[in-house]
Amino acid sequence: MNEATTRLDRMRYTKNTTSSRLALLAIVCNVLFFISLYKSDVGTYYYTILIGASIIYNLVFMLATFLASEGVKNYQKGYTWLLLVLGCGQILRIFIYPMQGHNTMIGGAPVIGNGQFIRMIIYLSLSAACLFVSAVINWRKSRALTAHIASVEAVKA
Amino acid sequence: MAELQLQHLDKIYDNNVQAVYDFNLDVKDGELIVLVGPSGCGKSTTLRMVAGLEDISRGALLLDGKDITQAPAKDRDMAMVFQNYALYGHMTIYENMAFSLTLRKEDPNVIHKKVLAAAEILDLTSQLNKKPSQLSGGQRQRVAMGRSIVRNPKVFLFDEPLSNLDAKLRSATRREILLLHKRLNATILYVTHDQTEALTLADRIVCMSMGHVQQVGTPLELYDRPNNIFVATFIGLPPMNMFETVFEDGQLKGKGFSVELTDEQKQLLSGYVHRKITLGVRPEDIAEGGSLEIRVTNNENLGMNTLVHGFLGDNFHITAKLRGWSDNKAGDSLPVHFKRMHFFDPETTNAIRKEAE
Repeated sequence: MNEATTRLDRMRYTKNTTSSRLALLAIVCNVLFFISLYKSDVGTYYYTILIGASIIYNLVFMLATFLASEGVKNYQKGYTWLLLVLGCGQILRIFIYPMQGHNTMIGGAPVIGNGQFIRMIIYLSLSAACLFVSAVINWRKSRALTAHIASVEAVKA
Repeated sequence: MAELQLQHLDKIYDNNVQAVYDFNLDVKDGELIVLVGPSGCGKSTTLRMVAGLEDISRGALLLDGKDITQAPAKDRDMAMVFQNYALYGHMTIYENMAFSLTLRKEDPNVIHKKVLAAAEILDLTSQLNKKPSQLSGGQRQRVAMGRSIVRNPKVFLFDEPLSNLDAKLRSATRREILLLHKRLNATILYVTHDQTEALTLADRIVCMSMGHVQQVGTPLELYDRPNNIFVATFIGLPPMNMFETVFEDGQLKGKGFSVELTDEQKQLLSGYVHRKITLGVRPEDIAEGGSLEIRVTNNENLGMNTLVHGFLGDNFHITAKLRGWSDNKAGDSLPVHFKRMHFFDPETTNAIRKEAE
């Protein structure tokens, strides 16, 4: 067994921890994002239906990402799509609260200031990046593993 | 090469309790040594001293001529298999087996090859993705052995590895250990209180009692030529029958019975005329027919053999292992003779043998 084959064969018994940890890191970035969002004192601006939706989405996001992190740990290819969808969702969110809040003026000042705005974009971008990279790694690894298992079984047969 | 020398090892605990006295043993390369004895005899303590888990109070421990008495356990190049397996429940079998090598930061590809090779030897390849809780006791013990094999240590230490298994599994795993030993040609120190394990596995047995080595020898030597009463009664199942007798008129006379001796036996015991002698007879050395009579109390039919329990003479308990199926009833009188006898000095408990022996 050469080095490359050994590396592939190892995947039969080891977890895809890279993808899994990246997905968990995406959750951490998301937490930093909503902490940054909810801690700011913006008067009555947040008391809209959107903030409620944001809270629910955060809960759904964390649950779905955690499930995906467990799925990709076992090289399940299907979870790649879920990670990609969640990553796209994080990118889309940049154009909702941070952008809207930054562009909305109350009493002559933006609801979300420059510093907070940049931090929130960074958190969401990092979260999305983690999800995309996790998805790509899982896709590549799971494909390679499937092919390897098929070749091992063919040899056995 | 892995030669182990235990020189005058003593173990004295802080409360001045001495667990091991002057333990001496030379273990040859590829030898399987079994330390056997009852609970509390110091066999596990000796093993733990060898492993580095207990300090050595006095004496020296040499591995391939190098003094490792004070070396920490991790530097001794020995692997220990415990009775309770000591597997990590949250890890898969693969991860358990790879764990020690991962800690040493070995190349993952090398680890992988070693784990697969060990799994192949132990027939665990199909179990590698499972958790320990999904395996049977025997399989878990094999995993524990596999974890030792991947390290490729100089010496394997087994501390009662089969004690948690049921009788059938114990027998199967015992055979596996024997095959493993032959395959790896490894130097093994094996602790057990089960004399069947000792007799079937060992190249040599070290029989211990109360912290003292009673006898070191091959299984046949310990069975056939026990050094003293302890070894005679500990090795062999059922244990050897012991009778208090006096050597008089060329006979061994006990209360209510007497045994004729051959000329050779009379010569052997010539220094014990009118003195007490403990007569030892293995149950399998008793055969039907003869001048001695057993008053039967009960029978244990085992299929191939029958264990007959009863009394000889006035009140000596005796167990005879007779061939075939026997239908003796309580109160029956069974005539027997002794095919082979062992003689012991009751004062020293040592075997009485010719000087040359």
